[in-house]
Amino acid sequence: MDVIPSLDLLGGQVVRLLHGDFAKVTAYGDPESVLDSLDVPRGSRLHLVDLEASRSGRPIELDVVRRLAKRDLRVQVGGGIRSLADARAWIEAGAAKIVIGTVAADSPAILREIVDALGPDRVIAAIDVRDGIVRVNGWESDARATLAEVLARVEALGIGEALITDINKDGAMRGPSFALYRSLQTKLRIIASGGVSTLGDVVSLSRIRSVGACVIGRALLDRRMQLAEARARVATPNAIPERIIPCLDVRDGRVVKGVNFVDIRDAGDPVECAARYEAEGADELVILDISATDANRTTALETVHRVSESLFIPLTVGGGVRTIEDFRALLRAGADRVAINTAALRNPQLIADCAREFGVQAVVLSCDAKRVNDHFEAMVRSGKESSGVDAVAWCRQAEELGTGEILLTSVDRDGTNAGYDIELLRAVTSVVRISVIASGGAGALEHFRDAIESGGARAVLAASLFHDRRLSIGDVKRYLTGEGIPVR
Amino acid sequence: MITTLIDSPVANVANIARALRTVGAELQVTRDPDAIANAEKLVLPGVGSFIAAMCWLEENRIDSAIHAAVANGASLLGVCVGHQLLFDVSHEMGTTAGLGLVRGEVHKFEGSLPVPQIGWNRVQCAEGGDRTLFEGVENGVFYFVNSYAASNAPDEIARADYGGPFTAAVQRDRIFGVQFHPEKSSAAGLRVLRNFVSWT
Repeated sequence: MDVIPSLDLLGGQVVRLLHGDFAKVTAYGDPESVLDSLDVPRGSRLHLVDLEASRSGRPIELDVVRRLAKRDLRVQVGGGIRSLADARAWIEAGAAKIVIGTVAADSPAILREIVDALGPDRVIAAIDVRDGIVRVNGWESDARATLAEVLARVEALGIGEALITDINKDGAMRGPSFALYRSLQTKLRIIASGGVSTLGDVVSLSRIRSVGACVIGRALLDRRMQLAEARARVATPNAIPERIIPCLDVRDGRVVKGVNFVDIRDAGDPVECAARYEAEGADELVILDISATDANRTTALETVHRVSESLFIPLTVGGGVRTIEDFRALLRAGADRVAINTAALRNPQLIADCAREFGVQAVVLSCDAKRVNDHFEAMVRSGKESSGVDAVAWCRQAEELGTGEILLTSVDRDGTNAGYDIELLRAVTSVVRISVIASGGAGALEHFRDAIESGGARAVLAASLFHDRRLSIGDVKRYLTGEGIPVR
Repeated sequence: MITTLIDSPVANVANIARALRTVGAELQVTRDPDAIANAEKLVLPGVGSFIAAMCWLEENRIDSAIHAAVANGASLLGVCVGHQLLFDVSHEMGTTAGLGLVRGEVHKFEGSLPVPQIGWNRVQCAEGGDRTLFEGVENGVFYFVNSYAASNAPDEIARADYGGPFTAAVQRDRIFGVQFHPEKSSAAGLRVLRNFVSWT
């Protein structure tokens, strides 16, 4: 999949309009310096939108296109192209392709005229969609044709590419409309546009069969992602499988399961559960020791030892780890990695100390997050008490201190089967580079997909769903494979 | 044939021992240079830093014991940092000479992906390369924990991709190395160990 930087132009400058309002302009400077600052390499495709042209209906920024075409960029330009004359003016200025919106949706005759004169390879159809309806004239009115009709017409003219924007997602930084792109029945190469704000978004788009490219504007300008990094990540999007991780909550040597961290019930022998999960294809196992007292800690170490004796996948253990000695004891008992939660919130240096002593790969930050008003707070004492610390900032700090991975549990969703908290996941995955394990709320197959695709999680954890055999790990893996998400 | 597992303090020996026994190895776990020099089948594990692992080999004369065993026709499997130790040189924290049993150098991962790599990755056998080690798992997925790796090693028999291709396994004569952790790679990892243990 190609990743295409996108710039909006106004008065010869790169700008961004707040909610499409020409009175609320953020300027980023002249196109050349912006392209330099974004490290856009020669030969790259570049998407330009001439904002004034889309307002006035005639090409304005021809000179910018002339200059950029000379820099060996394959420029595609859009904005109010309503006639063959406009289209020709852009091509003559050096644009490789023109992006045609309203005319493509509402004026089949003009579209045909442009394609006949310039060739179908010069044309990208731009289709803006809101709630499944095609919108035209700067999103102000509904198109006469349906989305399926517009796609069929564009395809019949021999046009190869369609830039599809979900208006509700555009500029919102909440992720693109994966469901829309996945639902499209077309042979066209889709250029996804709108809401692409994280590296995870780019990777997820690359896994959707019809999507051949995506355009990214604001996320590049705001330095939320690097173009080179995004391109590297999609070069081999399927090499690294996403992980399915069953979790055993263990107390006094038995597996237990509670709803919202309370109301605990017995769910079996940890060694038997672990062996069953590995046989089913679990990529890793998490054991959370929820026994509250020191007296039971010895039992927990024995449990870890017993489980690790017959397990040939990585084992992460957490719960009640307060000191570097607790950490060491769990590694000695057979854990590959140890999750720290409350103790790290009280003493963040513990993360750095453990990373130095045992390696970054051994340290997992377990963050229990609870929604409080418009943000998330990191909780302590098994999710019962707020630390007052912002969960997203805390995850970021933990990454800097040296945690190898973050196990991110939504306290609100835990045990509810209502789905992972995608907003929480996005908030964290958009600010850290290390992997995030989604936890809390899994109840159906699509929840796993959404956590990875929309949430940006690199692993998904579930406990009760697997214990109760409502789904097997194999079910989840088959489903994800069908959705284009690689698994082991 | 007895498999001799080198009892390195900078390795998770217990896990590898358990996996080797599970696939039917008759196991001797030792750090005695004489026992290692006389071994017919050796496993060299390792985690953590290259330099610490190499220092331990040298201080305990295990480096020359390994060379002696190899000269006598022993087969050898290096695992993770044990695999990296087989190479000429590592560039972890300066430049450190390795055992020089396979050709090439170990470098830090470059590129944009988080380091260390922690997780599963698909391993592709080289076209026309030796398949002894990967029989039955030619396109398998294995568990990696590493910040450093060789790339395009002349003795490469399998590669993986982490922001760019790297050497996942090497083989030269009777010497093998795997960058991943077979003891944590479930059935695929056990298969690789079984292939090594049962190979003559």
